Amino acid sequence: MTRKALLILAGCMIALTARAVADCRAHRGEHVVLYSTTDDPSVLMWDSRARLRAYHAASFDVAQALLPHALLVAPGTHADVISCIADYVTSPLFTGPESAVGVIVTSGPSRGAARWVLGSDVRMFKKR
Amino acid sequence: MTNGPFVRVTGTLLLTAFLLLSLGVAIQGTFETRSSISNTFARQSQIQQAQIDLEELLRLQIDEENSLRGYLLTRDPFYKSEYRSASAGYDAKESAIHATLQERQLTGAGQLLGDYANLQREWRSSVAVPLFAHPRVRLEELDKRNKLFSDYETMTVAAIRRALAQTGDDLARSTQDELDRSSYARASWVLVFGLLAIVFNAYRSQLNRELEEERSFTRILQRAFRSESTPLPNCDIGSAYLSATSHLAVGGDVFDIYRLSEDRALLLIADISGKGVDAAVLTAFVKFMVRAIALRDSAPAAILAEFNVVLSKAVEDPYLFASMFVGLLDTNRFGLTYASAGHDAIFVRRPEGVIALDVTGPVLGVMDEPFESRTFDLRPGDTLVLATDGLTEVRNRAGEQLGDKGAMEAIAQGGTEAQTLADDLVKKVRERGGSRVRDDLAVLAIRVLRTGSNDA
Repeated sequence: MTRKALLILAGCMIALTARAVADCRAHRGEHVVLYSTTDDPSVLMWDSRARLRAYHAASFDVAQALLPHALLVAPGTHADVISCIADYVTSPLFTGPESAVGVIVTSGPSRGAARWVLGSDVRMFKKR
Repeated sequence: MTNGPFVRVTGTLLLTAFLLLSLGVAIQGTFETRSSISNTFARQSQIQQAQIDLEELLRLQIDEENSLRGYLLTRDPFYKSEYRSASAGYDAKESAIHATLQERQLTGAGQLLGDYANLQREWRSSVAVPLFAHPRVRLEELDKRNKLFSDYETMTVAAIRRALAQTGDDLARSTQDELDRSSYARASWVLVFGLLAIVFNAYRSQLNRELEEERSFTRILQRAFRSESTPLPNCDIGSAYLSATSHLAVGGDVFDIYRLSEDRALLLIADISGKGVDAAVLTAFVKFMVRAIALRDSAPAAILAEFNVVLSKAVEDPYLFASMFVGLLDTNRFGLTYASAGHDAIFVRRPEGVIALDVTGPVLGVMDEPFESRTFDLRPGDTLVLATDGLTEVRNRAGEQLGDKGAMEAIAQGGTEAQTLADDLVKKVRERGGSRVRDDLAVLAIRVLRTGSNDA
């Protein structure tokens, strides 16, 4: 009985992961370039995906309080994708949910840093 | 002849009221729709203006940031003045958009714009001012803040754009709905109005047909019952009749000359209240009843008194009354014995002037008062004129009646021959009354040619 339940749970997790991977903006192993909005293309990188989500969902003041946990990188910084969670970030000001993408910076002063970025800040470069 | 006068008038008034109501509602609906659509277009126009202003606001905000960036890169004071100019422009534009959103009650967009303006002000105080003060010190925290502001402003503006676009879409939909509703409403009203017009027209046609039938029938009856010129010895007789305005039904004027014996004739003229078939039939009743009574009674007052009794018993109409003149004429010596029940248009024309014969009692059908007979001796050359009140009561354009005096003048100026005189009086009434002749006119003229032995 316990084995059966575990199998079902594992199946559900696989299904959820498969769905997340399928809908995600980037996939593990992809090489990407970071570039945000045209108004200000520099990218905020977060030390946890929870803070990434909190930053976009919270009020301005709360978001400002979270800033010490963020790293600001110049637009065009290269990175490798190590994880992606679809529809993870929501905001009353977004038209729809956004992905959270885990990356390792591969260029610039922050090279080697592992952080979370918003899916829309990630631009495909090439596959490794 | 299915509809009585009351039904006719009520029906016509009701249909006219329905038509006017339909017309009024249709016109009012058109104006309301026009006003509503005009308001919607005005709102749409304001929303579009707000969208244009918002883009201008964004341009000014980017100008502010670019001025800051330019200064940080070059330290050129020109960028400081550009920054101040952009800031002032931004504040003015923000106030204008805010006022428009408030006026249009777009509270959601207004709230977002307020947030956006607060963000910009905070950006100035916490990012721009420190950077202008210390341009060489580029702290990462300040850069992150700048990014934070930028992100929030971008997102806020996107939300405002969406809110305005949504409102614009809603208004466009509302305008379309309004136009659809208005088209359906107008089509319905045109249909209702058209149907009512058809019903109205049909009803009017039916009424006109009925009235014409009744009028024609009444004329036939009156022609049948009214006496034409019955010859009397030693007399020249003329008569004329004028129907009132054509749309009115024919009235109840009657006159009669009836020879009771070789040297005695009955002269009768009467005006019976009412119009139409009832009055026409009553004229026949009056004529033959008076003849019958006159064959038995020798005094006009007695004839009137007896007829008054008969009238009240025969006709159960409390509103019916009649003025009547009854004369018994000796056609040999031309002595006239007469009685007049409220009938005052009896005249005698003599070479030296016109005399009006007195009324000798009240109108018939009103009260049971005694009547009085009087005598008047006619002479050769005299003309006895019996007329109804259509002669004395005809009004001119100013509303003035001809009256006894005017009638007497008209009689004095009329032709010598009895028929010519009768025709002249009708002509006079036509000229004076024009299209305002409201009452019928009957004229009977008896000119005494000579006295002598009865040669009938």
